[in-house]
Amino acid sequence: MATVTNWIDHLSAEEVQGAIYPGVGSEGILVLIGFVLWIGWHVLAARQESEKLEKLARKRHGPNDWKSNVTDG
Amino acid sequence: MTDELGALTTIFTEFYYWVTVVLMFLIHVGFCMYEVGASRYKHHQHTLMKNTMLIPLVTVTWFLFGWWIYWAFPTGPGLAPSIMNESAALITDDSAFSAKWYVPTSDLMAVNLGDHISGVFWAAFLLFSWTAASIVSGAVIERITTFAFGILAIAIGSVFWTIDAAWGWHFDGWMLKLLGYHDAYASGVIHAVAGGFALGILAVLGPRIGKFSSSGEPRNIGPRNPWLVTIGLFLIYTGFWGFYAACNIPIFDLGPEYGMEGVTYFTATNIYVTPTTLSGITFNFLMSLSGGLLMGYLVSKGDPFWTYSSGLAGIICASAGNDLYHPIQSMIIGMIGVVIAYKMHYWVERKFKIDDAVGAVAVHGYAGFVGLVICGFVLNGYPSSGYSVGAMWDGTTYASINPLGMFIGALIMFFVLGMIPGWIIAKILHGMGKLRIPREVELAGLDYEIMEAAKDDEKSVASASR
Repeated sequence: MATVTNWIDHLSAEEVQGAIYPGVGSEGILVLIGFVLWIGWHVLAARQESEKLEKLARKRHGPNDWKSNVTDG
Repeated sequence: MTDELGALTTIFTEFYYWVTVVLMFLIHVGFCMYEVGASRYKHHQHTLMKNTMLIPLVTVTWFLFGWWIYWAFPTGPGLAPSIMNESAALITDDSAFSAKWYVPTSDLMAVNLGDHISGVFWAAFLLFSWTAASIVSGAVIERITTFAFGILAIAIGSVFWTIDAAWGWHFDGWMLKLLGYHDAYASGVIHAVAGGFALGILAVLGPRIGKFSSSGEPRNIGPRNPWLVTIGLFLIYTGFWGFYAACNIPIFDLGPEYGMEGVTYFTATNIYVTPTTLSGITFNFLMSLSGGLLMGYLVSKGDPFWTYSSGLAGIICASAGNDLYHPIQSMIIGMIGVVIAYKMHYWVERKFKIDDAVGAVAVHGYAGFVGLVICGFVLNGYPSSGYSVGAMWDGTTYASINPLGMFIGALIMFFVLGMIPGWIIAKILHGMGKLRIPREVELAGLDYEIMEAAKDDEKSVASASR
């Protein structure tokens, strides 16, 4: 996985390779994982939010009921 | 980097943009404080979370495709040829400023010893993206779902503002060439587009419950915490300094860049690679801020919320030409922008029943639009680029700055890339039943359960003896 194992060898090469992150060449897979995580987050967060909103809506609290939840710290 | 001077210039530039990014982070801190200050107690935490979550959503999508769009779309595509490859197609070839280098799989989009600029430049633009999304965030508080806002934030932050930046901000943008578009510090490129986008959403989203009486009269739902609003807006001003610096190239030799034989001319430039100075734009930033504050105080009769917002509107209105204006011009333009933004806000609110909770459409949208139009008159005849100055509509050269081109540019920013996409996406989300929170939740307060849990926690802690 390591792209660099010896800095002296790396920097004294005739042409210094710029990319030094682990797994150079695997960018495509990394980006694919990034897309999956991004879309997946929306799916999970949307589901969570819908459940939360539906549950709260069912309770039909009045517009001033929240005041009874104010704490004095 | 093998010679000391070249290394210093490169690392100075890298550090310069890095500092602007850190400064611009304050814009987002300011927006968060401002929104929480403007929202009602029962919605505070949800309001904060909504604006906070745009940070990761826009950042990830900016990495995945937003940055690529900026480099790929300057030609339209199909509207004017690139000066780099003479093609009007998407710029994805092997040229130095091609989008090819900014696909997320590129090795320049990571730690790379051969590249000291891509990451900080990417981040500077990303912070502009957060700002665009954050502008929208304030307008829609207390009734939009976080899911819908996330989608809309990505749309404005990683797609539509990026397209407008490619068109009207990139040195190779078609709007510079055909229209003579000039928008040095983003009156339109960020503010008008985000304001227009917010207006499109608001038209679908509707007002907060209670905003309008049964006879249609608007009611004031003022800021609940004026101190947070104050600090928030001061932080936005502060971050705006960083934004101005980020819109410049700090040091550039224009002689060889413009093809002037034997001429060496080092200067700072604006984003269009035409000369300006950090010193000069500092005059203008402060004078337009002052013009906005002075006029905001007058038109609002000393209302703190509008006075602070007007300082911002003053800067936004003058920003298009603040690389070249005289400071007094900047101040006057800032004043004009504030009067129009303030009057338009209340006219639109009454006429169309639009509930813009923080005045974002006015401060950013209307002031930005007006700033572009004024710039067309005040800077009429200045070159929009240093590369080759020609006539309007001539796609192979760059038109000079002119009133008609700037007016069309303002329409593109506010309506074509702002309001219309915002309205369409909001309509789709509304059709899916995902745009607005249930009425019962809006009445109860989005934070009801968090507050209830906090109360229970406190009770149990208070009754504990050990």
